[in-house]
Amino acid sequence: MITFDRFTLPNGLTVLFLKDITTPMAVVNTLYDVGARDESEDKTGFAHLFEHLMFGGSVNISDFDAPLQMAGGESNAFTSNDITNYYDVLPAKNIETALWLESDRMLSLAFTPKSLEVQRNVVIEEFKQRYLNQPYGDVWLQLRPLAYHKHPYKWATIGKEVRHIEEATMEDVRGFFSKHYVPSNAILCIAGNFELDEIKRLVEKWYGDIPGGKKPARILTAEPVQEEYREKTIERKVPAHAFYYAFKMPERRNEGYYMADVLSDALGRDKSSRLYVSLKKEQQLVSDINAYITGSLDDGLLMISGKLNDGISFEELDRALWNELEKLKAHPMHESELQRLMIKIKTAREFQEQGLLNRAMSLCLFELLGDAEGINLEHKIYDSIQPEHLHETAIHLFRKENCSLLKIKATNDAE
Amino acid sequence: MLNRTLTPQLKEIDQIDFVSPVTHVINGNALLYHMAEVPNETSRLDLYFDAGTARGERAVAGFVNGMLLSGSEQVSATEIQSQIDALGGFYESGISQETAVISIYALKEHLLEVFRIFAQALEELSFTEKEIKELLNDRRQKYKVNLEKVSFLAQREFQRRLFHDSIYGRVSDETDFAKVERENLIAFFNEHYLHGLYKVVVVGAVPENEINELIALSAQWAKGSPNKYETTLENKKESHYLEKDGALQTAIRLGRILFNKTHEDYLDFLVLNTILGDYFGSRLMSNIREDKGYTYGIGSMVAELHETGYFLIATEVGKDVKDAALEEIKKELKLLQEELVDEEELALVKNYMLGQLLKSADGPYSMTDLFLSVEPHGLDLDFYNKSIDALHEITPERIQELAKRYLNWEDFTIVAAG
Repeated sequence: MITFDRFTLPNGLTVLFLKDITTPMAVVNTLYDVGARDESEDKTGFAHLFEHLMFGGSVNISDFDAPLQMAGGESNAFTSNDITNYYDVLPAKNIETALWLESDRMLSLAFTPKSLEVQRNVVIEEFKQRYLNQPYGDVWLQLRPLAYHKHPYKWATIGKEVRHIEEATMEDVRGFFSKHYVPSNAILCIAGNFELDEIKRLVEKWYGDIPGGKKPARILTAEPVQEEYREKTIERKVPAHAFYYAFKMPERRNEGYYMADVLSDALGRDKSSRLYVSLKKEQQLVSDINAYITGSLDDGLLMISGKLNDGISFEELDRALWNELEKLKAHPMHESELQRLMIKIKTAREFQEQGLLNRAMSLCLFELLGDAEGINLEHKIYDSIQPEHLHETAIHLFRKENCSLLKIKATNDAE
Repeated sequence: MLNRTLTPQLKEIDQIDFVSPVTHVINGNALLYHMAEVPNETSRLDLYFDAGTARGERAVAGFVNGMLLSGSEQVSATEIQSQIDALGGFYESGISQETAVISIYALKEHLLEVFRIFAQALEELSFTEKEIKELLNDRRQKYKVNLEKVSFLAQREFQRRLFHDSIYGRVSDETDFAKVERENLIAFFNEHYLHGLYKVVVVGAVPENEINELIALSAQWAKGSPNKYETTLENKKESHYLEKDGALQTAIRLGRILFNKTHEDYLDFLVLNTILGDYFGSRLMSNIREDKGYTYGIGSMVAELHETGYFLIATEVGKDVKDAALEEIKKELKLLQEELVDEEELALVKNYMLGQLLKSADGPYSMTDLFLSVEPHGLDLDFYNKSIDALHEITPERIQELAKRYLNWEDFTIVAAG
């Protein structure tokens, strides 16, 4: 059970306070309700590029990192298709430094041309390092537009192509900031050994005078229901054939999200999972196989991916894989299998909730979903899941016309 | 009206409370450390075996490490995995030149039971031909994938030249995989696992009687003699470029054999290392990423071995700026040798390092890891009190002196791949 307090400033900023008396450290986590899904199709990669610029100095403070380091702390951030999340971890006694820095960059950035130019280059190197110069690195750049035709999930957070980042202008940057980086579009969580009154006083002091702005409306093109099986093959100079099956699954707020999560565990989380045991250990078709969900806020993907053993064809794999999916659809799983999956989920959660930063981030995310209290309710949803529910979900999810398959064909293979 | 240009008053970190785990004796060569003050249900068990890659023929140590749960003709790998998963256990195995570590994560109520399953799996392990073949196949494929990564190519080449002429510099390739024989695996396993345990670590509020049972169960594997490690290593002072067709980036690794925590210059060198490349505002990051935009990231570190250690700078840069990046790295090293670090930068790095130490001591898991980082060197947690003192006392002159002694370009092994 995670207890917390919540209050809202007149400018619309939502603040969560998580008290933890056991730690000398503090966390200041700021979630902005903006991600790659809020970009326009001809300017992708922008939310992420912008995240980099947030470290380039703000209106009253020329350098973000140095004062935080001087206070014994450090900071980082990540951007997803849904959100942009910034966090500072520092000794609790210097908490005010983090609030000073974070509030100033919420107020306004420095917007220097040098910062834009350098971060464009840094992000382009990141694009190369993570997506282009790695074997199988461009999979998500290829898979997203196959699985999504309308919804902005069809592009990756890093962007559709390097050109979009190269072409970003200062005007784009300013526009993006004034639209999305307003208090009413942010959720702040402060965690550490403090008193609520003290936190209220500090937050009002540093954030109180930031103009509220208007929470931007989000009107996204909904992804139409997929009605046909999709398949794409690309050739790459890689050592082994690889496969990526993507099944559409429900959005984050839907109970079906949790069913799909458990189903993905049943299929390919551990070495006792169905696909690992059948396709790898018994039939020896694959060297590696995993199932997982993308965890996105809007309709997401349940993924099954892996690499083929030498001499095995995509057709052989496909038959064996669907055979296993059909078993999940044929009858509900045994109670003992469900128990095995549940204790794994519970154990993983206990470890995750140990970290102050993890708890602060989760609280912000659940608040974004509607109520931070959701962090304490999630396990009840998992506990309520019965084999019959999973059975129904499996029947609904694992249909050919709900599937997109990306095959990476190894060109230097002897076949 | 709030003046936002003024920095809030900073408070110094004056003291950190370090807490050691409790020591239990397994035998004369093996100890169990227990950190019981965990305020939740989680627990971790680490088993240290004298089974690092330097202990056997090429590829053998790595194969055995990957096969510990592979079962026998009677009990399959899948059955063992299912038993562990049914208790919510997570299993992890890692290997370096000097050691092999098995870690088990579970809720504390299940930790002993997961360990019993592991212990039985070890006793019954028979290295079946099927499992050997499967692992060989997986390793071969993974190796081929790795060969496509410039970071892997550079790291491997660097290791070869950094530890040249010693067993630590030996890297295995595909031909070594094919030479692995079942008999060798069994022999290695018998010597280095069944008689190779030298340390056990438990973090978690596990009751005393379970700790005693863990000791009783693991005693059978305890080593009969102390471990032996390489003491004198010397890097090959040379520069090497490995071209890779079609690469967009070049991975750079450069460094030298240095020392570990037992050396008198260690603590002060850590300050120098942080200034140079071990935090976001470091000289290397400020110059090569934040000013030039050559890279997504660059960093330096001191890596420790049992008897010595090494210093390393690592980055991936655009292929077209490889030489420019190397030139800038060289410039930064020289600058530290020629000019004194100014007081403000030094104050920042001191405060940053104190804050990081506070964070490293936060919670039972981190505290245990701090302990495990000094214990192999015969030191205790008082080392960190000394490190706080050292941080308070260090001067710009001392940093310059260390830069002149240890950061000479001609002493470095330099590798670029891509």
